[in-house]
Formats: sequence, structure tokens, C-alpha cells
Amino acid sequence: MSRLSWIKTALEVGVVTKKYPFERVEVPDGFRGLPIFDSGKCIGCTACANVCTPDAIKVVNDFTNGFRRIEYRLGKCIFCGRCADVCPVSAITITKEFELAYTGDVINAIEIKFIKCVQCGQYYTVSRHLKHVSSKLNDEALEGVDICPDCRRRSNINSLIHASGVFR
Amino acid sequence: MNIYKKSIWVFHLNTGGCNSCDIEILDVLTPYHDVERFGIKLVASPRHADALLLTGPVTKEILPKVIDALLAVPEPKLVIAIGSCTTGGGIWYDTYSTIGGLNELYKVLKEEYGVPEPSTVKIPGCPPKPESIIYGIALALGVVQQKVTTTTARVE
Repeated sequence: MSRLSWIKTALEVGVVTKKYPFERVEVPDGFRGLPIFDSGKCIGCTACANVCTPDAIKVVNDFTNGFRRIEYRLGKCIFCGRCADVCPVSAITITKEFELAYTGDVINAIEIKFIKCVQCGQYYTVSRHLKHVSSKLNDEALEGVDICPDCRRRSNINSLIHASGVFR
Repeated sequence: MNIYKKSIWVFHLNTGGCNSCDIEILDVLTPYHDVERFGIKLVASPRHADALLLTGPVTKEILPKVIDALLAVPEPKLVIAIGSCTTGGGIWYDTYSTIGGLNELYKVLKEEYGVPEPSTVKIPGCPPKPESIIYGIALALGVVQQKVTTTTARVE
């Protein structure tokens, strides 16, 4: 008798199976899918790589060829969305794409060119990052922004020595 | 990619994961998503299976058992790696107790057992949606095309 009541319940509920492969499925609001990196906006500040928990975003500084390579490995990503939170220019958007199965390896990379120090001629930072920082500073702080940290340290010490008057 | 003519039977193997990917796999098998309508069936032994569903970051403790199960699957075999832990190590990529995902497992297989890489489909996500798993199996069967691709953008 009880089994007959199950049949009644099943008839009341009806078909529950989703028709997913044959029709589109709507993901809920706030779903975090594939992050997309906008190479036009990215300034190469590496904030995303600093917060990335599984090291899915990795920074490789190639000082010989003169570019900074920011790699995003899909296989490592846990879709936490912290990179999009910390990006200062909002170059990273979290999309709702969830059909991410792949074979082999999927690596999305952005390569940004370095600029050279005007004094010693070494690569030291990316021009976009420098421009972004410079736009937020006043003129006083902009002094010596186009030389590398080593050269700046040297020139600071030189000026200190001359100001103190030890070596006159 | 399609190496099977008939329905695939899968063996589910947790290699030290947190269980959320396993719950999603069970969700795929329930009447709500119901992959048995496509002929995909869960079996109790790797010897009966065509494909291995791997979840978890492959801890060192379970590595010999995983290799045993992988070698027990008859050819042609397929590995479906589910979840970010398996596809690349996830947040456990450099911990002392895991080997850090599928690529390291394949290295061990090749160096110590001389077994070539079986054909693999990786489904990232933490955990992946049930629809995502269905899409991954469809990719393994050659029904759909891969959506994500490797890109390199070079800017000034």
C-alpha cells in the first residue's frame, strides 16, 4: 500500500530532470566563473599575483628580453575572485562562463614591455605602471621617477654626502 | 577525441580531496541531472570502467593506490580530472603531503612505471558545477568543441 502512495507522490512531483545539454542554463547572481584579463587595461602591477592563493597567476620578469610576463593558468585557478577585487584598474572581470573543460594546458598570458633607466640603461619597471603611479603623485614626488631604484639610492646618498659637507 | 563507440562506465576515485567535487559528481548521477540517460554509469571496480573520475590533489599516502587503480582500467582508458585540486594542485600545490595534481602523477607514472599519459579531460572549478562536469564528459566524447584556448597578448 505504501508503494502505491510513492507512485502518487511521484506523479504529483512530475519530471525534475534538467534538460541542460539541450537548453541553456542560467547561473545565479554572484556566480564566479572564468576571469578574463583585459590586456589593454592591465598596468602590470602584479597585485593579482600577490593575492592569488593557488599561484594560478604568476609573474615572470624577463630582464634580458625586456618584458614582464603575467601568466594565468586555468588548471590552478580556484575561482575565488580576489584578483578582480584587488585590481586597481579593474582589468580583470569575473564572467559567468562555466563550460571550462579542456585538454592539455590552457595558459593566458600578457607580456608588457619594460622601460629602461635613463642613467644606467637597465630595465627596471613597466611604463604603464609608472604612468599610473605618476598620475597620482604631485610634482615634488615625481623627481627621479625615471631612474631605477639602485641609481636613485646612489644619487640620494651622493646628495646627502654633499649636503652634509663631509667631503668638501 | 572520441575513443569509445558505446556508453562509458565510470569509476569514481577520491584522491584526498575535501568531498565537494564528490558531492557534485553524485549530483550529476541523481535524477536531477541524470547522466544515466546518456549511458554513463557508476561502477564499483576500475576493471569494469572505461573512465576514471579523479578528484582531489593526490596525497602521498594514496599515490600507490591511485596508480594501482589507474593501471587496472582496461585500454582504451580515459581520465576525467574533476576540480582544481586535480587539474593543477589547487591551493595544495606546494604542501608537504600532496604531490600537487595530475601532471605530477603522470610524471611518476612515466618515470617509475613507463606508462604513457592516458587521454585526459580536465574540468577546473572549486567545485565545478554539475553542468560543467556534463560538458566535460561531452568534450571527452567529442560531442562539443573546447571553448577556452591559450592566448598571449603582447602590449607596450
